[in-house]
Amino acid sequence: MPRSSTERNPLHAGYYADSANQARVPIVENVRLARDTYRMRFECPEIAKRIVPGQFLMVRLAGLNDPLLGRPLALYDTVCDSVGKPIGIDIVYLTVGKMTRRLAQCVAGDELDVWGPLGNGFPAIATDHLIMVAGGIGQTPFLALGQEYLGRRVYGATSRSVQSAHKVTLCYGIRSAGFLAGVADFKKAGIDVRLSSDDGSIGHPGFVTEVLRQVLAETSSENRAVVCCGPEPMMHAVAALCKRENTRCYVSLETPMACGIGICFSCVTRVRQPDGSWDYKRTCVEGPIFDAHKIEW
Amino acid sequence: MDLSVQLGRLRLPNPILVASGTFGYAREMAGLVDLGRLGGIVPKTITQEPRTGNPPWRTVETAAGMLNSIGLDNDGIEAFVAHHLPYLASLGVPIIVSIAGRTQEEFVRMTGRLAGLTGIAALELNISCPNVSGGVDFGTDAGSCERLVAGCRSATATPIIAKLTPNVTSIAAIAKGAEAGGADAISLINTCLGMAIDWRKRRPLLGNVLGGLSGPAIKPIALRAVYQVAQAVKTPLVGIGGISTIDDVMEFFVAGASAVQLGTVNFYNPKASMEVLEALPGALAEAGVKCTADVVGTLLSNR
Repeated sequence: MPRSSTERNPLHAGYYADSANQARVPIVENVRLARDTYRMRFECPEIAKRIVPGQFLMVRLAGLNDPLLGRPLALYDTVCDSVGKPIGIDIVYLTVGKMTRRLAQCVAGDELDVWGPLGNGFPAIATDHLIMVAGGIGQTPFLALGQEYLGRRVYGATSRSVQSAHKVTLCYGIRSAGFLAGVADFKKAGIDVRLSSDDGSIGHPGFVTEVLRQVLAETSSENRAVVCCGPEPMMHAVAALCKRENTRCYVSLETPMACGIGICFSCVTRVRQPDGSWDYKRTCVEGPIFDAHKIEW
Repeated sequence: MDLSVQLGRLRLPNPILVASGTFGYAREMAGLVDLGRLGGIVPKTITQEPRTGNPPWRTVETAAGMLNSIGLDNDGIEAFVAHHLPYLASLGVPIIVSIAGRTQEEFVRMTGRLAGLTGIAALELNISCPNVSGGVDFGTDAGSCERLVAGCRSATATPIIAKLTPNVTSIAAIAKGAEAGGADAISLINTCLGMAIDWRKRRPLLGNVLGGLSGPAIKPIALRAVYQVAQAVKTPLVGIGGISTIDDVMEFFVAGASAVQLGTVNFYNPKASMEVLEALPGALAEAGVKCTADVVGTLLSNR
């Protein structure tokens, strides 16, 4: 887990970009994984050696003023050289707007401006069954997390001590089979994959929350934990289900961001305070991972 | 090369500052920027009382720019003094505290509260934020502007900068008011009022409907404002608006700005202030001058 700010200042956020690096980096490959979905690999050893699952980077097309702002993209996985040293980063993105459509046209050798690692990353959760719930492109933070919890991979500059889980399940809901991305990567990592689709073209026909309910009913683990990333109504539903089932739940919020480093105050989300009221907190430097039961949905 | 600049009673080690609302409270940037090298830091605007700010979305990207309507989300002046100022004061950089009041009395009271506090080099009166009611009126009427600046000056020995809005018919007229009130410097411009719409949903994209446009898209407007105000007043000017490269900086100097603030560029190139600082001596040498002041307001006539 990244080092929290050492200053005990009540107005300062927990996770400033203190170990972040900004660099112009070359794209190594840009591969189509599924409908409107791509995996991009770029070389950036300084970020690759520090980043942990759940953290993100800001990515911008180098030298262009339109689109102007960077986009926050989660770590999908790090790429290591022949002796196991992290040298590159994979991100997975869905083409939804001006920036991601341009990103999809990039080829090897094109340059990006990137800065990171940013945000808190997933906490080291003591659990023997980690259940990851993804809605659509919300699957991206979970490959690295699953690999880490199954002891397949290590992330971060300081040895982050994650107590291995015996089992990691991914509940992955998509609109339609054509959007299914990265399932081979998850299965190869030893992750138990359960699918659902809105149109019934693959897996359980219906919501991913129904798959989660089934997995929660099956698991015998006393200290199971749920992590979730996807559209807000889906995360809200997962959080509500976990609350009823008395299960820990962490969500990775995808609030729109302009800077990713805490200076613009755009990406605020309503977080419950100890006195029961709520306050706007910056997702980039207080999250993006939050205890789902503390979010004012 | 002497990079230092004099803005009224305020002396800065170099003319590259970072603008209010685009640099947090500086602590956020400590890992990405060598803060001690900046010519000055203007932290996010503070108000008398804490403000929750506007509902999301608070920013929307537009062509070569962005709209924001944050709504002066801040924890109030007392929290600033207790928790942010000690850190800012430790940086060894001129700290220019941006304040916004709802009334003349509140501006003056805030000025008095900050008077004489260690680590404050100057105050910037934010009389130009488009996202809150009140405050902006002082930036749209020359007489109110003059009375406000004069009132604040009489409440402190700290240098005063007035930050103006471009959303007026004649920014030069407002600048004259600020000068008459005794401003040490005038910074310009704040954002240009704008809007973004999702026509399919028939809804404004910003939670607060209207917002302020910033970024490279507004640079020509800012440059025009600096040029016009430089013709109208003798008070030193601080240029703001879409500045992202050393060429932008030099254009503002030539138009009449004695210093500049980098704003939105901090969002999309956090190292921009350092890049510009490194390029500054070379650009001044290319202009054939020995100090920043010698290039200020050197625009030639086309006639």
